[in-house]
Amino acid sequence: MPESESDSYALTVSGLHKRFGSLEVLKGVSLLAREGDVISILGSSGSGKSTLLRCINLLETPDEGVVTVAGETILMRKTRDGRSQPADRRQVDRIRSELGMVFQNFNLWSHMTILENLIEAPIHVQKRPRAECLEEARALLDKVGIGDKANFYPTHLSGGQQQRAAIARALAMRPKVMLFDEPTSALDPELVGEVLRVMRSLADEGRTMLIVTHEMGFARDVSDRIIFLHQGLVEDEGPPAELFGNSKSERFRQFIATERS
Amino acid sequence: MMDGAFIWETFLRLIVALRVTLSVWALSVFFGAFIAAGVAWMRGSGVKPVEWVARAYVFVFRGAPLLVQLFVVYYGLASFPAVRASIFWSFLRDAFNCATLSCALCTAAYQSEIFRGALAGVPHGQIEAARACGMSGFLLFRRVIFPIALRQALPAYSTEVISMVKATALVSLVTLWDVMSVALKIRNDTLVTYTPLLVAGAIYFVVNYLIARAFIFIEQWLSPHLRARSA
Repeated sequence: MPESESDSYALTVSGLHKRFGSLEVLKGVSLLAREGDVISILGSSGSGKSTLLRCINLLETPDEGVVTVAGETILMRKTRDGRSQPADRRQVDRIRSELGMVFQNFNLWSHMTILENLIEAPIHVQKRPRAECLEEARALLDKVGIGDKANFYPTHLSGGQQQRAAIARALAMRPKVMLFDEPTSALDPELVGEVLRVMRSLADEGRTMLIVTHEMGFARDVSDRIIFLHQGLVEDEGPPAELFGNSKSERFRQFIATERS
Repeated sequence: MMDGAFIWETFLRLIVALRVTLSVWALSVFFGAFIAAGVAWMRGSGVKPVEWVARAYVFVFRGAPLLVQLFVVYYGLASFPAVRASIFWSFLRDAFNCATLSCALCTAAYQSEIFRGALAGVPHGQIEAARACGMSGFLLFRRVIFPIALRQALPAYSTEVISMVKATALVSLVTLWDVMSVALKIRNDTLVTYTPLLVAGAIYFVVNYLIARAFIFIEQWLSPHLRARSA
């Protein structure tokens, strides 16, 4: 892919490999996300979909492959014993601050209020003025529907509220791409809807999003493209209508059949 | 001899001696915390030989009775001519310094284990969330790891700090005039056993009660999220 072309993508991943010991979890995965794309990554457990997401912001270090965020390629190098590691820690920190990550278990900082959670990284990582961060944080909390919870601590919120706060925390950094790692999997069924509603509104306003999820219906409705991972490889991908209509992959047809039941 | 005047007189003498008890306690806890931080850091450094030094430190100073450590520092070291000839002698010849040093070295072993446990107990997900926001190194430690670890360490730390108040009673055995040794002196001089020991016990009790209250206050101040919300 020529350099000029990769510039126009919000995120590109090519040839990603990840091994845990002798187990190869990702065996060469590539994906392209244009500005405003909503891409859902589906797959049974162990297919490598969470690992793929975590390799993009280097919470896991890929063994091979190239990740480019908004035209900037994450520089990697090999250590003497042949392992791969980021060449420039500060570049990693900066790129991470451009990627908003939402975790399965929310991972809000327990010693801070919701509002403090939101302004923490904008103030201390991005060095933006406090007043501006506060104003933006309050607006974001209103947007995800928990404006009245600004001064609560995470433990005083329901799971759904915590996850919405975590989404707001990620948004507070004005990320170029949002990464969702099974954002509703730890929630009680009746709380899933409120989180999906927030995610849908983000998709509608044109945010670039990568979503690892088990919510088939949501993925089908919201995504521009679906990527189906199987045993560390992209088994099938395409627009939801195409994939859910007549996937060429027998495994994908089986997968949606079992997930629906 | 259980009369009020004697109790009052005993109380006044012990309160004066409380200054020595509290000095040994405060200095040993304070300097012990720094040693403990260093030991905990060594223990988590990931460098094997450094880790082993830290492990050995905890093994020795937590394993042997404080009284033995105190005697080794005060009587044992002084028996080496080389120590008496060294630059450390001006420090080690003083009983107060030896007592504080022994207590500090001992509490440091316990405190380092408390620190280590508290650091290990910081939820991995919260550290990961901080990394995902672009935090690393000292910023990550200062803003996320340390504040959470501190809150987790407090209950165990208050216990250690209180047990150090009681441990300082041992320094009465190396010629220091702390609360315990003055109480024993009064008992020897007057042949009244209960009154001085009861008054001494009451003083330790009140001091420890105040320390415990202080820690509860700090805990509530630092961890409002653990209190029920009234709003």
